[in-house]
Amino acid sequence: MDIKISHNWLKDFLKTSAKPEKIAECLALSGPSVERVHKINDDYVYDIEITTNRVDTASIIGIAREASAILPQYGIKANFKFEILNFKPNPKSQKLNKLFIKTNSRLNKRVMAVVIEIPKVEKSPTWMKDRLEASGVRSLNNVIDITNYVMLEIGHPTHVFDFDKIVTRKLIFRLSRHGEELTTFDNKTYKLFGNDIVIEDGNGEIIDLPGIMGTKNSVVGPGTKKIIFFIDNNDPILMRKTSLNLGIRTLAVQLNEKGVDPELVASAFARGVELYQNLCRGKIVSKIYDIYHNKPKIKIIHVSLDFINSRIGVDIPAIKVKDILTALEFKVSLIRNTFSLTVPSFRLNDIDIPEDIVEEIARIYGYHNLPSKLMKGALPEKLTDSPFQFEQKIKNYLSGWGGIEVYNYSLVSKDMAGNGALKLKNPLGSDSEYLRTSLKPSLIAAAKQNSGQKDAFHLFEMANIYLSLDSARDKLPEEKMVLAGIFANQDYRLAKGILEAFFEKLHISDPKFLDNLISVDGLYYYEFEVEKLRQMHKDFVAFKPIPTYPAQIEDITFEFVGETKIGQVLQSIEQVPWVNQVELVDIFKNAYTFRIWYQHPKKTLTDKDVEKIREKIILTVKKKFGGLVNN
Amino acid sequence: MQEEILNIKNQAVGRIMEAKTDVDLDQIQIEYLGRNGYLTQEIKNISRLHKDDRKGAGIIINEAKKIVLDMIVARKNQLKDSSKEWFDKTIPGIKPSVGHLHLVTQAIAEIADVFEKIGFVRVRYPEVEWDYFAFGALNFPEVHPARDDWETFFVDVNPDKKYGPMVLTPHTSSGQVREMKRVGKPPIRMVNIAKCYRRQSDISHTQMFHQFEGLVIDENISVVNLKGTLDYFARNFFGDTRKTRLRPYNFRFTEPSFEVDITCDICNGVGCRLCKAGWLELGGAGMVHPNVLKAGGIDNKKYSGFAFGWGVERAIMMKSGINIPDLRLLYSPDLRFLIQF
Repeated sequence: MDIKISHNWLKDFLKTSAKPEKIAECLALSGPSVERVHKINDDYVYDIEITTNRVDTASIIGIAREASAILPQYGIKANFKFEILNFKPNPKSQKLNKLFIKTNSRLNKRVMAVVIEIPKVEKSPTWMKDRLEASGVRSLNNVIDITNYVMLEIGHPTHVFDFDKIVTRKLIFRLSRHGEELTTFDNKTYKLFGNDIVIEDGNGEIIDLPGIMGTKNSVVGPGTKKIIFFIDNNDPILMRKTSLNLGIRTLAVQLNEKGVDPELVASAFARGVELYQNLCRGKIVSKIYDIYHNKPKIKIIHVSLDFINSRIGVDIPAIKVKDILTALEFKVSLIRNTFSLTVPSFRLNDIDIPEDIVEEIARIYGYHNLPSKLMKGALPEKLTDSPFQFEQKIKNYLSGWGGIEVYNYSLVSKDMAGNGALKLKNPLGSDSEYLRTSLKPSLIAAAKQNSGQKDAFHLFEMANIYLSLDSARDKLPEEKMVLAGIFANQDYRLAKGILEAFFEKLHISDPKFLDNLISVDGLYYYEFEVEKLRQMHKDFVAFKPIPTYPAQIEDITFEFVGETKIGQVLQSIEQVPWVNQVELVDIFKNAYTFRIWYQHPKKTLTDKDVEKIREKIILTVKKKFGGLVNN
Repeated sequence: MQEEILNIKNQAVGRIMEAKTDVDLDQIQIEYLGRNGYLTQEIKNISRLHKDDRKGAGIIINEAKKIVLDMIVARKNQLKDSSKEWFDKTIPGIKPSVGHLHLVTQAIAEIADVFEKIGFVRVRYPEVEWDYFAFGALNFPEVHPARDDWETFFVDVNPDKKYGPMVLTPHTSSGQVREMKRVGKPPIRMVNIAKCYRRQSDISHTQMFHQFEGLVIDENISVVNLKGTLDYFARNFFGDTRKTRLRPYNFRFTEPSFEVDITCDICNGVGCRLCKAGWLELGGAGMVHPNVLKAGGIDNKKYSGFAFGWGVERAIMMKSGINIPDLRLLYSPDLRFLIQF
């Protein structure tokens, strides 16, 4: 979550002469993530990102405390001043109002409450309005503003009820039932999912969504005479669930869901009552209720100096470690190079193990003060059968012949997914609901998306497809790496030629692979399992001696009638003895010109030898295919 | 005899200068230097000379033969040049079709290369993964925002009794415990580069993206080594002038945890509109949490380690200053985009 901290307000608790920019820089390097600092009127505001483990820093006093530990490491004097406040106790003569508060140790850690008589609900003083607005909170009236002010300053959310609107005087915590309704003070009605923490009045009416937002039926208004100032510390997980289900993301719940320190309840309560007394001329008219179910246990962490230093990688002296931890309000005792550290209550959720202490030392000591060294030690074994180089190589080949690589999403619509595709429970939309089992639909769509392109192009993709292995589907799917491509506006022979060249480079001679090139909607598409290609391919082939005797080369043109498979003609010619190589070099109407290499390994062929071979070729082609020599 | 040779030579030279074709020159060569050529004949006549004159005559004849031959060759070249047509250097070439590897492929190749040079082993682990490897083994509590179904995609199958629901892995960190189990005993230096998925799609997020995850485990691995590795990567991938810094952060599977920043390439670390006071966020890193080592069967008393997992797309943007305004373009098949890289 992001919070805004007013510099002027911070200075109430932090005695330092450091400039805001300097404070921001030091905090960012050693503690809270200050995103930026900007000037508003005669104040500065820090934008700070609070990580979920450090809700204790999501307040003025939290930042002041951190700054007081961090700034001295940068040679800047800083002192944190925060005293538990004492409010005036209730006058004894007053007739006391009574509340019936029922809590539940599973739902609540702590609840404090008091009834205060307020002479008049009015506007807040300017200084308070300014500070609230600098913090991004709108000012409403003095009674409500104090609850927000205390939350921002101390870090614990607080609440007020209009005492007179709760006729039963009862505040009963319980879990909601599915379908129960409530209307929040901003006049929106919600239907609850069930198992939400709510407060009811004993007659079944919900009078608060505690820790998240107040309800309309108990809200303070201009006519309010008495309030219940109320602080509750409840189960964070339940509050988070309710907040997300209903989509209510108030600052209060963003703090509460992170598990605010119940010890803070007392400080926030004292600060609130003090402000009601001073700013609103409020009078306490009830006893002070404090129901504390689960007082946190004391936690002590033991950690040796050696451990700290070996994890950080430098030698930090014990006295320095002690100073840092003391500034962070740990109680430190050191016996024979081992620290016993009592964790402050506001860090109980965050600090558990020696590594947590390492972090505290390292960050305050300053990561920028650490050297930078690569690790020594033995290198691990390489994978014996790594696919990555091969994958890169074949991508290089295809792009080398003009292929354009594309990355399509693995998540596709139902009609592009193929049979047996895995479905998502929570897709972002119906166009990305399934894991594809083929690259083909994506590539066809990709080619069609470029239909404005009139020149030939070749798109290819290498990606996993996801094949569910069995009907029970209790295994992870097979992730099969596939290479697929598509040619558009391309002549078939040119498309096929690229695959022929591709297999030539891979030294794969099995012509069956070329059958994978198929025609789809005027496009030519191919796909291969990358693993199969990798198994079949060779990086090198055996050396063949260079022929000692020269080849005689000549072109012969045949004319064919009807549909003749030229691939088969070529094969037949190649099978004639002493024909070393044959290529199709020209096509004119039904005349096909072949270039033929005659070669013998042991002698130079004479014209007579060649003539015999030529005759054999002509005879074969005539017999098998009806082809006639064209002169 | 000397004079006779000189005459033959001069005659030959004259005819060579006047020759118009290669055929003429070949004819001249035969007439003068062939088996029965004039100069060849002269050599045969040497035996008739007085013993003392023979040597001198031989030298003269050989010189004459060399001159004639050289001139024939020179004249042939001259004829060749003059027969050339006018040559226009400015005419455009005929290009073969130019292919393009995708930006993501280019970046992955480079990232893998940088890490492999310092002994990292590249691996790849499942994209469709059990919750256990994606979260549980990484020290995530049962209830954690990342496990909510508005951040992670869940596959619509029954959960596994041991490993929980099936998810699309939201980070390459799910390979950490798998790598520990594969290797068994450190040292481990892994770089895992793979597709990841998260439930967000806007100008700076795509629901599918790529991460690269580094994991190093050995005896005495410290924050100093993590810094060393990150600096090495930053120098080699982004360039000498770029600097990194660590800031405290929080991740479940590392302790301590950091956010890693790199100096902005636009303003060179001075501070500009596009960065935070001169720094850009590169991604998360940290020392491997002892619970994660434990889940991977590694003795967390003896060994320690560090890990980092960063977005490939992000690294591309930060490296090159190719300001792609909408990250979703990377996964568009639009040729007008693809052919630019």
